[in-house]
Amino acid sequence: MGPAKTAPRVVLACGEVRTSLLPALQALDSRAAAQLLGLRADERVLLSERPNLYGRSPDTLTGVDCPLPSANGARVRVVGTVAARAALTEGRLLQASAYFMVPATGPDHRRPWGHYLVRPGVVEPLGKLPHEAVAEGVLNGGRHGDLDVGLIADGLHTRLLRHPLLDHRPPLRSRPTRLRWVALPAEPGAGPSIERFTLAEDELRTVRLRVPEGTPGEGLAGLCDDLALHDWLLTTVVRILDGIRLGAGAGAAGAPPARQRPRQRPGAGEELPAVVRALRPAVDHLLHLWMPRARVTQELAPLWDALEERPGFTRQWQTLVQRIRDQLTLHAIPSPHRETDMGP
Amino acid sequence: MTDAVFRETTAEPRTQAVPLSHLSLELGHLYMEDFEAGPEHLRRHFAQVRPWADAARAAAADRTGGKRPRISTCFLIDDYFTRFSSPAELVPLLLAEADRAGLAVDYLARESGCAVAGKVPVAEAVAGRLVEEPPPGSYGLRPPAAQTGWLANGERSPVARAPQAMREAAVWQPPKETASRRHSVFLDVELWSDAPDGQRTWSCPFLAAVWQLARLGLLRTEGEAVLEPQPHTADGFPEDWDELPPLLRLNPRADPFAAYRTCSVVPNRFLPVEHAVRVILDQTEVDPEALGQAARRSAGEKVAVPDSVADRVSYVFYAGP
Repeated sequence: MGPAKTAPRVVLACGEVRTSLLPALQALDSRAAAQLLGLRADERVLLSERPNLYGRSPDTLTGVDCPLPSANGARVRVVGTVAARAALTEGRLLQASAYFMVPATGPDHRRPWGHYLVRPGVVEPLGKLPHEAVAEGVLNGGRHGDLDVGLIADGLHTRLLRHPLLDHRPPLRSRPTRLRWVALPAEPGAGPSIERFTLAEDELRTVRLRVPEGTPGEGLAGLCDDLALHDWLLTTVVRILDGIRLGAGAGAAGAPPARQRPRQRPGAGEELPAVVRALRPAVDHLLHLWMPRARVTQELAPLWDALEERPGFTRQWQTLVQRIRDQLTLHAIPSPHRETDMGP
Repeated sequence: MTDAVFRETTAEPRTQAVPLSHLSLELGHLYMEDFEAGPEHLRRHFAQVRPWADAARAAAADRTGGKRPRISTCFLIDDYFTRFSSPAELVPLLLAEADRAGLAVDYLARESGCAVAGKVPVAEAVAGRLVEEPPPGSYGLRPPAAQTGWLANGERSPVARAPQAMREAAVWQPPKETASRRHSVFLDVELWSDAPDGQRTWSCPFLAAVWQLARLGLLRTEGEAVLEPQPHTADGFPEDWDELPPLLRLNPRADPFAAYRTCSVVPNRFLPVEHAVRVILDQTEVDPEALGQAARRSAGEKVAVPDSVADRVSYVFYAGP
């Protein structure tokens, strides 16, 4: 590749992903997904049907010229573009993701803008990059005026939410999550690894990766989108179960209802017990979305193994799914029998 | 996704490649008034262009290191801003005058093809690819000073709001060119204007920027090439401009239309327009795969091509009306 041939090696990649439930009563089909994600008139939305329905927008660029956050107070000015894109999984989960890569060194003054535009998703430091300190700074969040990749992901997310296709009647209540990630170079010869996955307060997750030199930023963003999506599913389903008083009879306080009532069968809906009412949207809209590594590149797919080992993402998901199914099965039994069975 | 066994074509980006010459040499870019001025005006134009066209060919040959350079010539007729006469009347005249100066026009283009080519809204697509140059201090917010339909090479003068203006009677703040060296040459380019009925008219510099991208082989729509040359099969030329293909190959043995670099020989009244073209090209993100194709191909034949798109464009401005 021409522009990349003389470029110094990339020593840092950073990004942030917003994950949320698409605020629409019905999941979008592929055609509607292509409309939603068509950020550019002249570029196709990538659509995939295997192993699940998935659409991804073309990348859009945002120009930046500002300092990078850093843990040691160093103010490294960078100039370049941050790439952002949106993805929709099964017409239901919306993700807006922004990322950039930084080479070890850059020119000592700002170049004409055309120089940066032929390097999409790359920001170049003016001088040398203290990449470890900057990685720490990015994860901790920078000061006002530092490069804010989350702001760019947010901007894209907000833009998508304004799309006329969306009726803003989500079938269940949920909160968006943010996943912020950095990737630093691995030891020579070592494979990729997850150094840390942190659940912080305020719906923020941080991920620190080590990857071999030359790992494409797009692949890293894809991996982190995948991690964010599954973390959002766990977070959301845990919260649904958390809000239910299990074993309580019909009419007891269940999970807080979504702003709009879930789709109900005429006549039958009103009699559903609170537990069923709370769990049903999860069955309708979430349980089929679990599919780790669906779109992670081969080189990065093994990183999931660490999370499956500890804390065991899929193990937790299966337990949650089983609990939901057990509850629904219990409530399918006519209640006189259920009350006796559940006696002390 | 990296699995070689299973593939989904709708899930993979694809970008059509276009054949590329070394140089696309533009022999003129004329408006209807130039034609109205009569054949002598065209004759003077081509006579002035000839020595510079020869020089551009020699420079291109120099860059290919002795190999025969692939050079195609082109000519752009404005049928967008004003309509005059007909292709049947004008094109033969144009070709005769070029021939008289010893110049051959390989490709003929209509300016309205840079706005909409066939069914493809080319200008609108390019407008969607503008990425504004961030002034220092841009940390991720959209540039607050963005003006719809305008593009600048720096920061505009702050607009004093009414109360402030009353307090400090109009303290003028200068605009600032972002890439300035000590002093600014600030330029603010109007990209389009909208009529009250919603009809959009693209500006001349914007269409000229699209024209440059076409000549550099960097335009794509959904991965497909746009403004592909059509062969000239008919005997004459049509009576209506709309019946003339947007890009016509007049010489069946011409080198490819698109090229690694472009050179345009135009009278110096085009200088402000072409400055604006540079400002636009410098802030247009072209299809990365199209860029990659040109980069790989040029590296394969050991021809240096500048990274930056605006730097692939060159001009000769001759003195004249």
